[in-house]
Amino acid sequence: MDLRAGDSWGMLACLCAVLWHLPAVPALNRTGDPGPGPSIQKTYDLTRYLEHQLRSLAGTYLNYLGPPFNEPDFNPPRLGAETLPRATVNLDVWRSLNDKLRLTQNYEAYSHLLCYLRGLDRQAATAELRRSLAHFCTSLQGLLGSIAGVMAALGYPLPQPLPGTEPTRAPGPAHSDFLQKMDDFWLLKELQTWLWRSAKDFNRLKKKTQPPPAAVTLHLEAHGF
Amino acid sequence: MALFSAFQTIFLLALLSLKTYQSEVLSEPLSLAPESLEVSIDSARQCLHLQWSVHNLAYHQELKMVFQIEISRIKTSNVIWVENYSTTVKRNQVLRWSWESKLPLECAKHSVRMRGAVDDAQVPELRFWSNWTSWEEVDVQSSLGHDPLFVFPKDKLVEEGSNVTICYVSRSHQNNISCYLEGVRMHGEQLDPNVCVFHLKNVPFIRETGTNIYCKADRGDVIKGIVLFVSKVFEEPKDFSCETRDLKTLNCTWAPGSDAGLLTQLSQSYTLFESFSGKKTLCKHKSWCDWQVPPDSQEMYNFTLTAENYLRKRSVHLLFNLTHRVHPMAPFNVFVKNVSAANATMTWKVHSIGNYSTLLCQIELYGEGKVIQQNVSVKVNGKHLMKKLEPSTEYAAQVRCANANHFWKWSEWTRRNFTTAEAAPSEAPDVWRNVKSVQGHCVVTLFWKPLSKLQANGKILFYNVVLENLDRPSTLKLLSIPAPANGTELTLDQCSYQIRVTANNSVGTSPASVIAVSGDPGNKEVEEERVRGTEDGFCLSWKPQPGDVTGYVVEWCERPGDPLCDLQWKNLGPNTTSTVVSSDAFRPGVRYNFRIYGISTERIPYLLEKKTGYSQELVPSDNPQVLMSNLTSYSFTLSWKDYAAESQPGFVRGYSLYLKSKAARCLPGSEKAVLSDDSICCKYKIDNPKQKTFVVENLQPASFYEFFLTPYTSVGEGPQGAFTKVTTPDEYSHILIRVILPMIFSILLIMILCYLKSQWMKEKCYPDIPDPYKSSVLSLIKSKENPRLTIMNVKDCIPDAIEVINKQEGTRKSLTETEPTKPTYLYLLPTEKSHSGPGPCICFENFTYNQAASDSASCGHVPVTPKAQPQLGLLTSSENGPKALGKNYVNSLGEIPAGETNLNYVSQLASPMCGDKSSLPTNPPEPALCSEYKTQMAIPMGLASPPSITLLDEGEHDH
Repeated sequence: MDLRAGDSWGMLACLCAVLWHLPAVPALNRTGDPGPGPSIQKTYDLTRYLEHQLRSLAGTYLNYLGPPFNEPDFNPPRLGAETLPRATVNLDVWRSLNDKLRLTQNYEAYSHLLCYLRGLDRQAATAELRRSLAHFCTSLQGLLGSIAGVMAALGYPLPQPLPGTEPTRAPGPAHSDFLQKMDDFWLLKELQTWLWRSAKDFNRLKKKTQPPPAAVTLHLEAHGF
Repeated sequence: MALFSAFQTIFLLALLSLKTYQSEVLSEPLSLAPESLEVSIDSARQCLHLQWSVHNLAYHQELKMVFQIEISRIKTSNVIWVENYSTTVKRNQVLRWSWESKLPLECAKHSVRMRGAVDDAQVPELRFWSNWTSWEEVDVQSSLGHDPLFVFPKDKLVEEGSNVTICYVSRSHQNNISCYLEGVRMHGEQLDPNVCVFHLKNVPFIRETGTNIYCKADRGDVIKGIVLFVSKVFEEPKDFSCETRDLKTLNCTWAPGSDAGLLTQLSQSYTLFESFSGKKTLCKHKSWCDWQVPPDSQEMYNFTLTAENYLRKRSVHLLFNLTHRVHPMAPFNVFVKNVSAANATMTWKVHSIGNYSTLLCQIELYGEGKVIQQNVSVKVNGKHLMKKLEPSTEYAAQVRCANANHFWKWSEWTRRNFTTAEAAPSEAPDVWRNVKSVQGHCVVTLFWKPLSKLQANGKILFYNVVLENLDRPSTLKLLSIPAPANGTELTLDQCSYQIRVTANNSVGTSPASVIAVSGDPGNKEVEEERVRGTEDGFCLSWKPQPGDVTGYVVEWCERPGDPLCDLQWKNLGPNTTSTVVSSDAFRPGVRYNFRIYGISTERIPYLLEKKTGYSQELVPSDNPQVLMSNLTSYSFTLSWKDYAAESQPGFVRGYSLYLKSKAARCLPGSEKAVLSDDSICCKYKIDNPKQKTFVVENLQPASFYEFFLTPYTSVGEGPQGAFTKVTTPDEYSHILIRVILPMIFSILLIMILCYLKSQWMKEKCYPDIPDPYKSSVLSLIKSKENPRLTIMNVKDCIPDAIEVINKQEGTRKSLTETEPTKPTYLYLLPTEKSHSGPGPCICFENFTYNQAASDSASCGHVPVTPKAQPQLGLLTSSENGPKALGKNYVNSLGEIPAGETNLNYVSQLASPMCGDKSSLPTNPPEPALCSEYKTQMAIPMGLASPPSITLLDEGEHDH
């Protein structure tokens, strides 16, 4: 996957779509109960928007870390990033996931990723980078709320975090700065993969719950780092 | 051979026994060897820390010793460092020494050993080395763990420009390891099969997140890296300085160097150390520090400021005497007292800087744009009298002080403002007047200029105007005009007054300004002269006056077109005959008029000269309206008498007339000129500005011309305008007019005359034909002769004439040869209208061809005498009808008046058929008719039925 900034028209389209649907996202508008269909669609759109937003952010942040992290073909082993929720899953397993489990995995993954991302925010030195990270965190918080809305609409309970398992970004004394940069790299990469997977998840949910809406349907290819 | 071996063994044993003996003898000194050597490592700093002790020292014994330390790498024989460390040693004291390795300690095994020697003059006998300690091995690699690859040093912090050594340690021999610095592959030196070393020289600062270095194996997902944090060079503090303000606290300041530029800034500490007192303080701030001066009055201070961060320590020094670094506090209790119009006193206090110190205080007085500076020596209380102040003026006084003995710095200023008291105005107001005579009264408008601040010495409250009648000196009239009026208008019954004007403020009155007005307003007619203005103004000069003149006044209006005029004047001394009048109000293109007055001893102004001019002349703003007159074929006249040359923004020097024509050459008096639109025309220059007419001559008749007239000043011509078109008339037209008009007039005159004299004309030209019926003869005939006799109606047939032909028999000539015989006609009756009357009977004659016919007298021509004409005519008229008809026809064709007698030949072809030339091609005449003339009678075609002859009745015959 590639997190390159660009395709501003696509971003604009996504932004418009998200803004159009934002008032109806359950996380933001809990006054009515339009059913899970529209909520799923809007969550799907939001994942698409965040995917594009992350491309720009990750490009800036990886340049900030320096080479080799900003090199397009850099693909290090996942050494110190075991605590990050893993987005990749066997296709058959993914297909066999029920709706509740699918949504729960999404919710848990973004909850963890958001915590790590906030740690990244504290680490950043430049004001512009901090602003971009804070903006993305807010958007990710919105996605988390949107997923919670879909789960509520479908009648699924939210997963309760186990006490003391709150992920933190405080590395141990043996954690070197290079590994820390590697963790940052993996966080952004995993986040990108999760957003790509979530789009697939919500697309699948959307097809299951209702016929395709007449609203804007975006078909965007997920790019790697 | 065996013997040799036995001998060798014995020799060695003997030597060994000797050595043992020696050791026992010298056992005392040998006990001062380093013992309990321990080696520890600091991976982050790449340091080996050694600690040891010397046990065999006596109590309270202190010896200077030197320890030689050897460090080897990889194997003990590879000694990489040897150093002698000298120190004072006590019994059982733990000694420490550190060594920083350039190579990360993890990269290779290190071994350390040492030996000692006494280096003390007290015991010179012990100056020899002890035995080496055993090698202490430092092997970090063995404790690294089981990872396949390591890179060292971990996250090292260095300064920009340093040299750094990096290594990797691989656990596998098969893997090929490649290492990268910022994505660029590095090539290193293989230390051993598993360790490779890379030397980085002069590392630069790249980014705040550090420089990334990583190694990876070509097989497997093995990647390891480090971040090398390169900080910017830690600079030493600059501008280190200390001073005191109260002799109790020293304030030291400096400018710290630039920061490290890293994500996590390296902590910097600043320490102030004073060497005389041995005191030290850790500064809380990055750029300043306070030092408490002890009460024991230490004078000299030697400060060392040490700035330190993780990588480097920097120091700066400062040695000074405390009394030389006194920066006094600002003066306090500053007052300005006893303020009069010219003097004021300033008092202040200063903070003491010691019992014997004197302060130098500086006083600055600002007022009226000037600065007065004075210095005063002060112990505690300061006082200064400020003199020669201007009345009613705002001043600002400020004071600051410094150590008078050892100047270091001035204190801050302490400032006070004050205003001096007022005084009476020092100068008389500058007064001028304008005198008009209105309805027998003298209207005097007085103007005066406000006094300057220096002259007024306070706020002017009012002006007093005293009028003294010169005819009655005892009569005074006082007017008080409140400020800020700058003039007044007085209506006086007569014009002989002396006027005194004074300005008054709260303190007193100014000297009086005196001006007199007389019955003669002084506006005598003097010729106006032109002056040339410049950017600096108008330079005016005038002739000196022979009599007593107390001065001159130049007067002008700054806004000449304005009714208010903004009258200005300038007073000049009696010896002045020229001046330059300048004003910011002067505008280019405006005519300013100046009047120069002389002031008599009685203070009466009288006009001397008038000047007029422009500060800057401009081109004329508009062109005259030109009227054209007297247009002839060769000239026309132009006139522009209404043009106001005086209102132009410059003196009109003349006029330029541009004339365009089709002629290639210009007329005399003109020259070729190129207009702004590149068209070429002829230009007449009229140099006389008073000339308002011009005659353009030498033109071509019936030609088209265009002209354009513009005035010019010294700067240039007026704006380009439209050309007026004119076409000169034809040369002959006037001649025609001269002929035709009189002719028409004459004809009209004749017609009028004819009309008026119509009766006379009628009688003369065509008198009435007498009517026989009305004749008296008729009545006579009726009554006496025959009652039936009647008079033949003239309408029936009227013979015109009777032709008598004298024929010569026997002569026949051709037509050309025939000499015409003169016919004789006998006029019977005068015919008034030969055509309108009834068809006459015409006797046709043809003596050319028809002699026989003539002879036959068929026509009945009877020669008669003219006397018998009337009567005969009457009687024969009915018989000769056909002849008469023929004669009538001839006459009608030839339009021959009845009186003409020389028409003897009537063409034989004179029939309507043959005579009409236009119908000749279509209706050729009948050959029979034309070639054989038979009837000799001319008969209208439509009626003729030849050969019979028919008389026509009246109606058909009438043409």
